[in-house]
Amino acid sequence: MPARIRGQLLKGTTTLLVLTVLRDGELYGYEIAQRIRERSGGAFVPSEGSLYPALHALEADGALQASWRAGDRGPRRRYYQITKSGLGMLEEHSQEWASFSLGVTQVVGGNR
Amino acid sequence: MIILLGYFGGLAAFLVATVLVVRRSERRLGGYTPRASAASRLETDDPVSAYLDRMTAELRLPAADVAEVRAELADHLADSIASLEGEGLETDGAIREALARLGSADELARQLRAAHQSTRRLLAGVGGGVFAGAGGFVIGYYGGFFLLLLLALVVYAVAAVLSAIGIPLPDLSGGDRTGGTFNSLLLAFSVAIAAGTATRYAVRTSAGLSRHAPRSVAGFWAVALGLGFGAVALFGVRGPQGWPGVAAEACIPVAAVGAALFRIDRPMPHVGRWALVLGLLAIVGSVSVLMLGALAFTTVSSGSSSDQATSYQLPDMHFDTVAPAAPTTWLPNGSLNDGVWSWSDSTGPRLNVSFVAGEGGVPPATVLANWRAIRFEAWHIMPFGNPGPPAVDTQYSSPFAIQPATQEGTDLNATFHFEKMRSAGSWEIFITAIGPDGVRYRLYDCGGGESTFNGSAWDWLTAAQ
Repeated sequence: MPARIRGQLLKGTTTLLVLTVLRDGELYGYEIAQRIRERSGGAFVPSEGSLYPALHALEADGALQASWRAGDRGPRRRYYQITKSGLGMLEEHSQEWASFSLGVTQVVGGNR
Repeated sequence: MIILLGYFGGLAAFLVATVLVVRRSERRLGGYTPRASAASRLETDDPVSAYLDRMTAELRLPAADVAEVRAELADHLADSIASLEGEGLETDGAIREALARLGSADELARQLRAAHQSTRRLLAGVGGGVFAGAGGFVIGYYGGFFLLLLLALVVYAVAAVLSAIGIPLPDLSGGDRTGGTFNSLLLAFSVAIAAGTATRYAVRTSAGLSRHAPRSVAGFWAVALGLGFGAVALFGVRGPQGWPGVAAEACIPVAAVGAALFRIDRPMPHVGRWALVLGLLAIVGSVSVLMLGALAFTTVSSGSSSDQATSYQLPDMHFDTVAPAAPTTWLPNGSLNDGVWSWSDSTGPRLNVSFVAGEGGVPPATVLANWRAIRFEAWHIMPFGNPGPPAVDTQYSSPFAIQPATQEGTDLNATFHFEKMRSAGSWEIFITAIGPDGVRYRLYDCGGGESTFNGSAWDWLTAAQ
């Protein structure tokens, strides 16, 4: 199991992670946190205290649309769905992350 | 006709848009409480309820937002606790761990508030508030005007019935024979109702759209619209003016500030249910009144007058109170005739009296040479509605306004601004001058009229007594 990523390192990526997991379909808050944890193999454990402010900020910016409704298997939840604007934002963040990641890899790899 | 249809169609569309914007905001401000089954179970649990209570108390968001956030986090905590219990933790430990993962309630509330109150929503709130305020002003004005008119009709009807069955009534008109005071009060109270409605709409709409609690934006709107409507009351509302009108106009900014601060958290359930109906009804009512008024005016204008002219003898008019009549030696009969009167509410009566050669063939220059210190004097007379002649009011021993005559050729001119004098009322204007014997005589009776102060509250307050 990979080591847990430091919280400070995760802070700037919350938006990217949230938009990415919502690209595949609508989810509610707890599911989003679980999905990120699962897809990172347990490496990413987003702070739940910062997850909801991030979700609400994305909703205020029009990147997400939220609605209350009963889920397939459970009680009423607040589901988040990515919007067209959100997909555009995801594209931008993905490109930024790719550049950042490549740069960091080159620096770290060059030191070896 | 097309212009009228366009005007009222556009107005109706504007009112519908206003109501839709206000209703959207109202839904955000209250009434909506999402049902969360997990939340209802958890909120009986003390540590979780205490956490949620503290967090929601710090949110300072509209009620619907608070309810949504609380329900969502309660659901999250229920899932989290169930998951932790599934991993083997005891219930108490699972609750502690789930709460710890959310972090400090105060910090979470602060971050959530910042997330909800984005710059985009703030701009939408300001824009929506201005739009709703403008629409609320129109709705309030037409609605208020219509309601006040109905109230006046009811009062008149009751008075008519009481009078018919012989119950004596006091004169509530206060001498408002021309209806100027009534019109002034109707206008001022309609604007006051409009100001209150506009402010209420602006505060609640901007709060809902910007995701602020109404109380936190009420101060801003109270100051902004209180000052704005204060300026409107002082300088903008023009027309017949008097102390009742000034007092009614003072209600305009008071209504705006009161509407912003008094029970501003209370929802406006009437919006949409009644505002639109009332607004449209008021427009239809106002148009009907205007059309009926125009019809009545046309009928009256085209009819023949059956008024009987009444002539009074000079002694009945008490003109000697002004000055003795000029001796015909110095002012032969017919040597002074009426010239041109011009009259408007904005400039007041402009008097222009011409000297002409009379029957005696006296050249104007000769007539003028007999007199010095020629002037126009305005005297109070008995009101025209009173029984008896419109005689000089003998309780006054001097004119209330004097203008020296300016001579242009054979014309003597003067301008009076009775519309800017508080106490002009009913008046008669005379030309007087000092004769060769050093006595002031009455040369000519120019005629009379009735004036109402016309202008803004500021004009009234700063006018000469």
